[in-house]
Amino acid sequence: MLNYIWISLLAIGIIVAVSKDVSDLSSDKFRNGKELNVVFKMDSTSRVESIFIAQEQFNQFYNTSETNDIQTKAELRFLDSTSGTISLLLNETSPIIWKQLSKAQKKENHLSGKIALSGTRAKIIFDEVKFTTINSVTNDGFFSSAKTAVTLAIGLIGIMALWLGIMKIAEESGLIARLALFFKPIMTRIFPDVPADHPAMGAMMMNISANMLGLSNAATPFGLKAMEHLNSLNKKMGTATDAMCTFLVINTSNVQLIPATVIAIRASLGSSSPTEILGASIVATTVNTIVGVAVVKLLAKLPKYKSESA
Amino acid sequence: MLINLIEVLSVLAIPFLILFIVAYGAIKKVKVYELFVEGAKEGFNVGVRIIPFLVAMLVAIGVFRSSGAMDFLATLLAPLTNLIGMPAEALPVAIMRPLSGSGTLGLISEVMKTHGPDSLIGRMVSVIMGSGETTFYVLAVYFGSVSISKTRHAVPAGIIADIVGILMSVWIVNWMFG
Repeated sequence: MLNYIWISLLAIGIIVAVSKDVSDLSSDKFRNGKELNVVFKMDSTSRVESIFIAQEQFNQFYNTSETNDIQTKAELRFLDSTSGTISLLLNETSPIIWKQLSKAQKKENHLSGKIALSGTRAKIIFDEVKFTTINSVTNDGFFSSAKTAVTLAIGLIGIMALWLGIMKIAEESGLIARLALFFKPIMTRIFPDVPADHPAMGAMMMNISANMLGLSNAATPFGLKAMEHLNSLNKKMGTATDAMCTFLVINTSNVQLIPATVIAIRASLGSSSPTEILGASIVATTVNTIVGVAVVKLLAKLPKYKSESA
Repeated sequence: MLINLIEVLSVLAIPFLILFIVAYGAIKKVKVYELFVEGAKEGFNVGVRIIPFLVAMLVAIGVFRSSGAMDFLATLLAPLTNLIGMPAEALPVAIMRPLSGSGTLGLISEVMKTHGPDSLIGRMVSVIMGSGETTFYVLAVYFGSVSISKTRHAVPAGIIADIVGILMSVWIVNWMFG
């Protein structure tokens, strides 16, 4: 299944990107290389330069439907007396097509091009953009993500070392065993093929507790330790056991009781009651965890998955 | 009131947990420093072991996200959202949730800025974010750490649980606040 999802994400991404770029090119969406006539205004007192285009003229050029005349501040750099380069400063009210073009040019809120002046009139040719989406798939999608993955993994080493160290203390002092003993009745039901006194039980319990409390950076190291213990019971290396799948689903279904990040964002955006979603969130996450565990148990019985286990 | 309590708890939880475990160890007379170092040793190997799995997963998700296929998929699935009472703007959030945590965070901030955090849709995306998890990242890291590539029924079960979680979020927000 993961194979299919993996190829689907890649294939859908690439196909969508290519078709987007081809359709932009064939409709000449950004009017590459074409001259846009503008009125040029240079305010001698405030030294603010700006360009002006009437609404209908703009819409005719881009085949858009802007509702206002376009007026934008600009920075001009002369190469000789009548020509040079121009950089438009875009803002909230700028036309969408320009915002897209600026993004495609990889300029933040700027739009660059060449300008030819004659009196107060001027012609602008914006820098050409081609294959922007597929380029961003190559650079952001493939290369940046690969780099990010390594950065994340390396970053995890320190956190892992910290929590695995703490966990070792908890293990040797008998704290984890006590925690495991307390939850033994539930855990042995959820994980029937793991011996009740196996260290995997304690590690899983630590992971689930940390997850519930929202301590996600402790939960991951605990969870990975649990996976290691579960793998010691694995008779077929490289293939997941039933217990691993169950444990994974508990983790992917998020058993967090207090979604602190969401509450913080809601508060920062001026919510009158940032915590009002707590009840709904707890119910939703409880239901999805219960359903997840039920489904994983059912699927394990399917001949297709059963035959893959040892 | 409640938000202050949550803030205090989330600030204190980690230092207190560490202090508690170390102090408990000291009381039980185990050699805390030596054990810490011994346990911490494994951190490096785990970090390195998950790299290939994480690269594979994040690259696929990265390609999907940077292509803008999200909008495409959202348009494709839009007829279904009306059926379950989900606003169209919440759909990209639901699709993004299992793929990327930071991506979802960006989307829900955007939605809440536009519609307000106390709007129905603002609440809905909050619940979707709060009750979901980055399923594919978790899969890659957890299975990667023990070099497992044959994931059997973990993926379908995880996805079904995600879908149930989203349906549940939509339903309960409509029921409580709608």
